[in-house]
This record gives sequence, structure tokens and C-alpha cells, in this order.
Amino acid sequence: MAKIQSDARVDRPLLFRIVAICLLALIVAVPLLGGPLSGSALGLTPYLANIIGQIATFALLALALDLIWGFGGILSLGHGLFFAMGGYLIAMHMLKAGYVYGGVTPDIMTFMGWTELPAYWFGFESFPYAFVLILLVPGLVAFLYGWMSFRSRVSGVYFAIITQALTYVAMLLMYRNDTGFGGNNGMTGFSTLLGVPVGAPGMVTGLATASLVVLLLAFLACGALMRSPFGRLLIAIRDDEARLRFLGYDTLWPKLAAWCLSGVLAAIAGALYVPQVGIINPRLLAPEVSIEIAVWVALGGRGALSGAVIGAIIISALKFWLTGFVPEAWPFILAGVVLVVVTLLPNGLLDLKPQRLLAPLRRNRKPAPEPAE
Amino acid sequence: MPFRFLRLQGFLAAAILLLATLVALPAAAQDRADIVAEICSGDFAAQQSALSRLAGAGVEAGSEGALWARRIVEAFEGRSLRCGDGLAVIDTPDGPLRASTLEPAEGVDTSTLSAPSVNLRLRAVAASAGAVLRLFTEESVAARAEAAAYVDRRREALTPEILAAAVERETDAALRDTLSTLRASLLLADPDPVNRIAAIEAIAQDATLRNRTAIAEALAGETDAAVLAAGEKAMAGIDRTLALGKVLATLYSGASYASVLFLAALGLAIIFGLMGVINLAQGELIMIGAYAAWFTQEAIRAALPGLLDYYLILAIPVSFLAAALVGLLMEVLVIRRLYDRPLMTLLATWAISLLLINTVRVTVGSQNLEFYQPAYVSGGFPVLGDFIMTSNRLFAIAVALFAFIAVVILLRRSLFGMNVRAVTQNRAMAGAAGIDTRRTDMMAFALGSGLAGLAGLALSPLYNVNPGMGTGFIVDSFMVVVLGGVGSLVGAIVAALGIGQINVVIEPIYGAVAAKVLVLLLVIVFIQWRPEGLFAPKGRR
Amino acid sequence: MKRRSFVKGLITASAGSVIASPWVARKAFAAAHSDTVKLGCLFSSSGTMANIEGRLNYVARMAAEELNAKGGVLGKMVEVVTTDPGSDWPLYAQLGRQLIQQEGVAATFGCWTSVSRKSVLPVVEQNDALLYYPLHFEGEENSKNVVYLNSPPSSSVLPAVEYLMSEEGGSAKRFFMLGSDYVWPRTINQQLKGYWASKGIEADAWREEYVPVGHSNFQTLINEIRAFADQPGGQPVVILTVVGNSIPDFFREYVNQGISAFDVPVLGLDALEADFEGLDTTALVGHLNCWAYLQNAPGARNQEFLSAWANYVNANGVPYRPDVAIDPMVSTYDGVHLWALAAEKAGSFDVPAVREASAGLTFACPSGYEISMTAENTYVKRGVFIGSLNESQGFDILWQSPDTPDPVPFSPYMNA
Repeated sequence: MAKIQSDARVDRPLLFRIVAICLLALIVAVPLLGGPLSGSALGLTPYLANIIGQIATFALLALALDLIWGFGGILSLGHGLFFAMGGYLIAMHMLKAGYVYGGVTPDIMTFMGWTELPAYWFGFESFPYAFVLILLVPGLVAFLYGWMSFRSRVSGVYFAIITQALTYVAMLLMYRNDTGFGGNNGMTGFSTLLGVPVGAPGMVTGLATASLVVLLLAFLACGALMRSPFGRLLIAIRDDEARLRFLGYDTLWPKLAAWCLSGVLAAIAGALYVPQVGIINPRLLAPEVSIEIAVWVALGGRGALSGAVIGAIIISALKFWLTGFVPEAWPFILAGVVLVVVTLLPNGLLDLKPQRLLAPLRRNRKPAPEPAE
Repeated sequence: MPFRFLRLQGFLAAAILLLATLVALPAAAQDRADIVAEICSGDFAAQQSALSRLAGAGVEAGSEGALWARRIVEAFEGRSLRCGDGLAVIDTPDGPLRASTLEPAEGVDTSTLSAPSVNLRLRAVAASAGAVLRLFTEESVAARAEAAAYVDRRREALTPEILAAAVERETDAALRDTLSTLRASLLLADPDPVNRIAAIEAIAQDATLRNRTAIAEALAGETDAAVLAAGEKAMAGIDRTLALGKVLATLYSGASYASVLFLAALGLAIIFGLMGVINLAQGELIMIGAYAAWFTQEAIRAALPGLLDYYLILAIPVSFLAAALVGLLMEVLVIRRLYDRPLMTLLATWAISLLLINTVRVTVGSQNLEFYQPAYVSGGFPVLGDFIMTSNRLFAIAVALFAFIAVVILLRRSLFGMNVRAVTQNRAMAGAAGIDTRRTDMMAFALGSGLAGLAGLALSPLYNVNPGMGTGFIVDSFMVVVLGGVGSLVGAIVAALGIGQINVVIEPIYGAVAAKVLVLLLVIVFIQWRPEGLFAPKGRR
Repeated sequence: MKRRSFVKGLITASAGSVIASPWVARKAFAAAHSDTVKLGCLFSSSGTMANIEGRLNYVARMAAEELNAKGGVLGKMVEVVTTDPGSDWPLYAQLGRQLIQQEGVAATFGCWTSVSRKSVLPVVEQNDALLYYPLHFEGEENSKNVVYLNSPPSSSVLPAVEYLMSEEGGSAKRFFMLGSDYVWPRTINQQLKGYWASKGIEADAWREEYVPVGHSNFQTLINEIRAFADQPGGQPVVILTVVGNSIPDFFREYVNQGISAFDVPVLGLDALEADFEGLDTTALVGHLNCWAYLQNAPGARNQEFLSAWANYVNANGVPYRPDVAIDPMVSTYDGVHLWALAAEKAGSFDVPAVREASAGLTFACPSGYEISMTAENTYVKRGVFIGSLNESQGFDILWQSPDTPDPVPFSPYMNA
């Protein structure tokens, strides 16, 4: 069942550009409307700026997953793991910095009865060190796990469920208090970031803008990467890995590179997310959180970077909006949207054409293929 | 005779109290009034001594006195004794009775009186005293035997003298033997070494850690060589039984956990083996099965209350069919549209699970459902040493075995089973040979879902039944399926037993979390090394 | 082309809603200056905590209705804004921000678990808002932005353990601590160990075990409790700090393995009347809990509260039982009234003024005690009850404190 995919949907050039331009516009607008112009008619409240910032990190996370799922054909139901890693690492930095420079004793030390933090907290008061770890640790974990799995050709549904099991294991471990990461309470009570008090007026818009900037950069970079020969190779692996291997390509390394890149991007998203919500706890490692990430991508359209970004924005904005006043209805809406998308719109909202809506059961759609098992 | 034990301080207290009761023989009305006043005093020591005197009433006061004492003890325990202002009455549906005379207390307003506080310690003494008095007042041998078994466990009000009197009066030979043994076991601190040895031997008949502790404590101050030797021998014997009991208990815990895993994974194994589809709503089908069992229970309670004890059996087809029907709908409406996109099935079934959880939450509510627990799923049987076989887990093991056998027969002996096996092994060839693969898929999906429903029924006496009960099962049951080898039922059962047993062995050493983490990591690593699982499937996929 | 236009439309629409939102916010702000004053509720009515936590939303509303029936507070009607954080901890912070910044609430009532409180804490501190927290908790915290309506361990757990160790309570000598693995159980057990050590009790008289939150298979642990209980050294008890659905799971296995409260009583520190819905409690009679309120608390004030709740449930179709009242409900109820008293005293809804006016306020709590706010911090002095489980899923009162002990936020036994 070789599936030939002539339309490798890296580019919908126009859509790609529209998303990029919108992001750029937001990057300009958010600091202006949230800062000097906050009193004007269009002024942003810190509350809204914060939500925009959070959604930007979700979009970045979706982008990361799309890289490996949409282009590599490998579904991870464990991207919450990398997201949480980034979050925990930045949280460790903020707590340690607050402790060392600000004299704020972290809660963990109090309830565990510690007089000092465990050895692996060493050096976390330094931002550059924490930043390097945010790139290194998730990258390393992704590498080790990916190398093991891809080498033994664990793929498809197996890979998805095992990533979920791995995240679940991490959740169980992080819920333990004696691991030194705060257990169920996680980490909260951050006082400063990069020397600026967390409660400072510009902090919220600053973080939101930073998230948008990182999102835009990652979006452009991933776009370029997927159009490069590397991206073509990745897409080819997705479409028919066996054939590629027969042709003499080593498929292990491209997959592994994309997987590690994806993990690191997700970690960066987590590191931007946690300072904005002010708390991290093992809930981020719950299976349903990771599944929801996949839902964003599936909804927006896998295999198109703009699709992932749009999907994440729509679902999380809807969630913020709806949980405010119809919390009971939200699970029904989410479930309904997912069912409609997976049964009627195999490639997500990017499939949305009026004639499709009129003839939803027509057979000749071409869903993005999944790797043959 | 379960839970036999002996507490030295209880014995000493009883001995002292016996001396007290020998001095004051309560027969006169004044004594009764005194005892009632003591119980009403609210003073803990006085209440305790009054209860012990009441327990001794059978020996001293003849059967009329024993009946009165029993009445008072039961009223005290059941909190129907009301005191206040020098007055003590028993509140009965027909009006209050004076406690010391049991005559109607006219004109007493019970709402101005209060029940004396019954703390845990007093409650235990009262329960023991009540059972002692039943030994003296019950007409039927069976009721007295039941009382004897009870005082064996609850000895707070028991003394050798009371038992001696009970042995004396007992007409049933077997019960007399039981009581004699019980009496012997009370003499652990008797001045006569012969009695002490007899006590040790009587105690050692029931090999529990508690009895071993009792013997060890008694030996601590022992000087008589013969008693010491008997004690050491008895303890060595108990130790052997305890060790064996411990092994059995671990095996049983492992098997019961395995039965849970296996039940949860069985349906998944069939569906995944056949269609390569992971049903993330499998846990919610378990929940549906449990809810169906609950609705059956309610229906039986309303229509045929006489059959309520058998509702778990009667609900078997209901739970199975309810979950199978939901599964069938899922297959027809969603899954079959996604056959060549297994990853999308993951998301679709996740959405369905979300839908099912929230539908149940909105319609039935989020609270835990209250299940009636018939005798065959409550309590447990002491087997050996400290090993107790709990009935609810035995029930789950039985259902797991039943499900396994039924499925094996279905797959090996029926046409449908043959089709399923054929499609599992080679879908294209099976189709070419004329098997309607789509229909087979549909039926197999319904079967797998129905089995999950059955699991829900079997787990309802073990777990809380609420809308979210199924969410915890999916990772564990998938681990069982992949470890066992896709499509292999034997593999699933071996994997479930293995995971269950490893878990149970690790848990006491490193704790429940570490056990779970280690087992999951073990399985994850194992799959990297051997992706096809323990029992490699023969099919080509 | 059409697809593109759709996407464009979508983007325009979302941009539109973003622009429109500040307007909505301003409208809300304007409402705060009308003739009502808003109180916020942050209790989950969905997710894992829904079953017990959700009812607190309704209690806050009921208390607000009582205030309004008497003409409101400072001449303004009290309006309760409820949200649903869905048992999702970061969402508590998010919605807390929304209540304080967007809705302009005068005070927030919320949180059950410690982690949800920790999540909201930075938000209320940064905005100098007030959070009324109705649960007994692990202590070791003293924020001027939180009113701790319920007791820290020093004034709830320690009296109960002291009772168990008294002759009347069964002369407990040995302790099996079993808890869910998170801060509240760990902190409490840490303090208990310090307390026992200070009484000269040797470390081999206790054991400490933790299970993951949501753990359900207690077979092995109850085997171990039996083995622990059967060893020499005196009367054993279990100090149970598992939470949520682990509580009924634990007790079910406990009964099935044949252990009664006479043999090894369990002090269930988080066990509430609501946890035993769905269990047959005849075999569980005698197990203990301790709270600052029990439904069987004596006194007319309690009867008044219970009938008010029953009426409120029946009149408004509230999806909870009219005949079950639990401590956090009463604490929330107290909280709303304490806030109203403070605002009346201060003559203002401003947080600093309300906080200042709070010191020393008293209120006739349904528990029968005259509870009072401490002057030196934002804790509340409450009485203590020890309850004994009865046949009808309720708790009889075994013991209650003669007065309202002083809450001690930072336990001296913590690092002993």
C-alpha cells in the first residue's frame, strides 16, 4: 500500500505567511497595548496579556509535536514530559535564585525538613546554566529514548502508548516528595526572573512578548528546515520508511534528529509557560494533557506548521473562554470537535472546504498517511 | 477460630476485677442500682469495672441476673441507655424502662437525659461482656457457639472463672471442648507451670503473629525450664506456619492484582490483536459495566428483593451486553471510518472516553455508587497463619478465570472464533477466503467491549465506582497486552501474573509508587528489546 | 481560495474577540462600582475534587443570601461569582487572577487541596487580595493575604492523637502512619514524629508509609498493618492521611481483612461524612476522625445551620445531599460571615482595611463554639471535635475541646 504524497504540505505559502505576519503584528501590539497604551480604548489588561502569552507557549508546543508527528509520522503521546521538563528546570532556577539572592526559602525545604537543597540543585541560581540544561536535559532524554525505540523499530501505536507510559512513570515519580521536586505541590511562589520581580508591572507583557517572539522564530526556522533536504527526507520517511531503507537511506538519524529537536522545542515552551502561570506540578505529566497536545495538532492539521499553530490557538483560546462560563460543557465540546475532525476532516481544519462539508462521506479524500506497520 | 489472641494486661485486669466481684456479690436491687449508677457516672474506670461486674453476672446471679445484665450491656452498647439526674432508663420503642428494675418508667422525659459516652475502649469491653452474657443466656447451641467464637476474639471481659462456669453449664460436648481450650489459653500467667504449658499449647493451636507475641511476652519473665521449652517449641511451630502463610498471602495478593490487570486487558488484547487499534475508552467501558451492575442491583432491589444476594451473578449478562452495545456503536459510528489510520483512532477513542465520562457525570452524578455487598464478596477466610483470603478478590479471580475460559472456548470452538483467528493472522488472506472481515471486526470489537464491561462488574466490589474509575486502567492494561504479545491470550495471562507478582513483591520493600514505576520501566525496556512481546504472534501484520 | 478566506475569517474573528474583551472587562469593572459587591468562589465542580469540593460553592451562595436578607453589607447586595477550576491546579491561579483583576471581587473563597492554595497564593499576594481558605491543612504558612479558616495541625491533629494516647482513648502506644504522598500528610507525620520524640517515644514505635494520590489497592499495606499490630509493644493505631477515593478503598480492604476498630482503630484525618457515602459502615463503627465541626455538634446554632442548608438544597435543586454537612462547608459559611463582619467594622471593602478590622472578630459558628480571628495573624481560633464513625455513615462526638485553642502556624515539632 504505497501511498504517494505529491502534495507535501510543508507550505501553504500564503497561509504560512499570514500566520507569520499575524504573529509579528502581535509581537508589536502586545508590548504597546499592554504597556504605554494600556489605558487606551484598545489597551490590554495584564490578564489578557498573560493569556496571550500562555497560548503562544501552547502554540510552540504544538509546533514541536507537529515536527515529529506531522512530518516524521511518529505520534508522541508524551510531549507533556518535555514540556514539564522545561517547566521544572526554569522553576528550579527561579526558586534557587530567589533563595540565593532574595532569601526566600522554597516550600519544599520547609516541609521536607531540609536545611539545604539536594545536590542536583547546584548552580541553578545561574540563568545561563539553567538555560543550557533546559536545552540539554530534554534533548538527552529524547535522544536516549528515541535511539532505543527507533533502533528496535518501535513505531506507530506502540510508540505512542509507550511515550504515554513513560510520561506516566515520570508523573508517578514527580508526585513523590522525596525526589526533591516538590511532589504534588510542585513548585510555586517564584519571586524573581532574570533579576526582575515576578510581580513587576512589565513582567506579564514582557513574558507574553518573549513567548510570541520565540514562537515566531521557531515557526520560521521549522518552516525553513522542513523545506530543506532534511525536511524532504523526513517526509519521505513518514510516507514510506521501508522503501527508503531499501533505497539505502539510514532512517534512524533523521528521525532521531527531528525527535530531539521536537523535545527541545517543547521544553522551551514549558520554560516560557511556567513563569507565566506561576506554578508547576506533576499534573502537566498526566496522560490527558499530552493527548490534548495531539488534539491541537490533529485539529489544526498535521503536516502543516501553520495548522498546528492555529489548532493550538483555537482550542486553548476556546478552553480559556468556555471554562469561564460553561465549564460543564467544555468536555463535550472538545470531544465533539475531536470526533468531527478525525472522522470528517482527516487533515484537520485545513481540510475545510465547503464542498467537503456538503459531501462529508465522499471516499476520495487523501488522509496524510501513517507509517505502514 | 479466627483471630485468637491473648492480652496480658487484659488478663491481669480481669483477675483484679474478679477479686473485686468476689467481695461484692451483686444480687440485691441495691447492687443493680450501683452498677447502673457507675455506668452512668461517665468516669471511665468506674464504667469499665461496672461492665466487668455485669459480665460476671452470669456466674453469680443466676440466669435472671444474666438476662438483666445482658439487657443493660446491650442498651449501653446500642446507646439506648439514658442517664441524668440520678435517673437511668432504657429507651425502647414502647417507652422508657427503669434500668435497675426494667419496669416502665412513667413520666420520664428521655429528651432531658443523655447517653453515657461510649469510647472505643468501653465499646470493646461492652462487646466482650455482651458475648459472655450471650454464652449464659442463649437457648440454642448455635447461638452459644457463635458467642464463644466472639469471646475468643474479644476477651476484654473474659476471666478463667467465667469460662469455668460456662464449661460447667454447657450441654453441648463440642462447645464444651472449645470453651475448655479457651479457658486453658487464659492461664498463661497461672502459678501452676502445668497450666502455663497447657495455655501455651492451647494458644499455639492457632498460629498467628498475635499469639506468637502473646507467648513471647509471657516467656519474658518465665523461669520454669519446662514452660520455656514448650514456649520455644510452640513459637518455632508458629514461625513455620507464619512463613508459609506469608508466601501464600503474597501469591494471593499477586494473583488478585493480576486478575484485575487481566480482566482490564482481556478485551483490549482481542481488539488490538485483531485490528491493531488501541481503544483508549476501554477503561470507560469498564465503568459502563460497573454502572450496569449497579442499575441491575437497583432494579432487583425494587422488583425482586429476594434475589438481591445474587445480583452480581444476574448482572453478568447485563454488564456484558451494556458495554458490548456501547462498543458496537463506537465501532459502527467511528472506528470503522479510521481503519487505515490507527493513530487517529487513539484520539477518537480518547474523545469517546471523555464523552462517556462526562455523560455519566451529568446524568448519574460524580459520587461513588453504593453497592450492596453480598456475603460472597465481603469479609474473608483465614487460611493459614496470618493469611486471609478476602472474598471480593476471590470473586474477581473467579470472574477472570471464567472470562478466560469462556473466551478461549469461543475462539477455539466457534465459527466466529475461527474467523477472528484467521483475520488476526492474515487479514488479506482471510478476506480472500471469504470471511467478512468488517463484520468480524465489528463483532470482535463488541466482544472486547463486553469483556471490559464484565471486568467492571467484577471490580465493583473492589474499587470505588464513579465516572472517572476507568481512567487508571489504560496504561496498565496496555502494558499487559504488549508484554504478553499482541493477540495472545495466554501471553496476556502470563504477563498479568508476572506484573502482578513483581508488583506485590517490590511493594513492601520500596513502596507502592516505586513498585509501579519499576514495573512500568521494566516493561518499557523489555518492549525495546523484544517488541513482539513474550509470546510472539504468528500473524503477519 | 475559499479555504484561505475561511482561515482569514477565523483570524479576523479571533482578533475581534481579543479586542472586544477589554470592553467586557471594563463593563465588569463598572459593575463593581454599582450597588453590589462581589465575592469570588474558586471551588472545583468538575474533575477529581468535584464530589466534595463543589458543594462549597453553594454554601458561599447560601451565606451571601443570608447577608442579603439582612440588607447586604454596607448597604450593598452581595453577589457571588463562581468559577470552576476543574481540579486543575494552574487553573486555580488563572481563575483567581480573573476573579481579582477582571471581576474585581472584594474577597475570594476557595481551594481545598494544599496545592491549589499554593497555586493561588502568589496571585493574591501580588494583587494584595484576600483568600478565605476553608480546609484544615499542614500549617507552616502565614500569608497576610490568606484567612486560614480552619486549623493547622497543632490545634486539630495533636489533640486527637493525645486523646488516643490517653487511657480513655485506648492508651495507644504504637502508630502506623499511612498517607497519600504529598505535602499535607508528610508535614503532619513529620510533626507527629517530632511530637512523639518529645514525649520520649522510641522511633521503633512508629512506621510511615506513603501511597500515590488515588491509590486503590491496599492489600499489601493492610497485611503489613496487621503484622505491625500483632507485634509486641502495646496498643497500635493507624494515623490515616490518605485522601479522596483512597479513603473508602482503604476501609473496604480493612474490613475485608477482618480488622475492627477495637483491634486497631484508624484515625482518619481527612475522613469526612461524605467519604463514606457508598460504604456499609456497620463493620467500621468506632473508627475516628477529627475536625473543627462535626454534623452531630450539639446546640441550636447547628440545627439552624443544618435546616438552612437543607432548605437551600431543596429550594435550589443543589446536586448535593441536603442531610450531609461537613466541616469545610461550615468553614466557608463562617468565612463569608467573618468577611461581612470585618467589612462592616472597617466601613469599607478595601483589603487592607478589611484585614485590619478582622483582628479579634468573633462569630457564633454552627459548631457551637464562639470562634474568633486572632489578632497577630489571619488564623481563626476554632474548637476541636473527635468523632467516632457510626452505623449510618456519620460521626458521633467522642470528645470535644473545652475551648478554642490558639492556632500555631509554625509547629515547634516540625524539625524536632
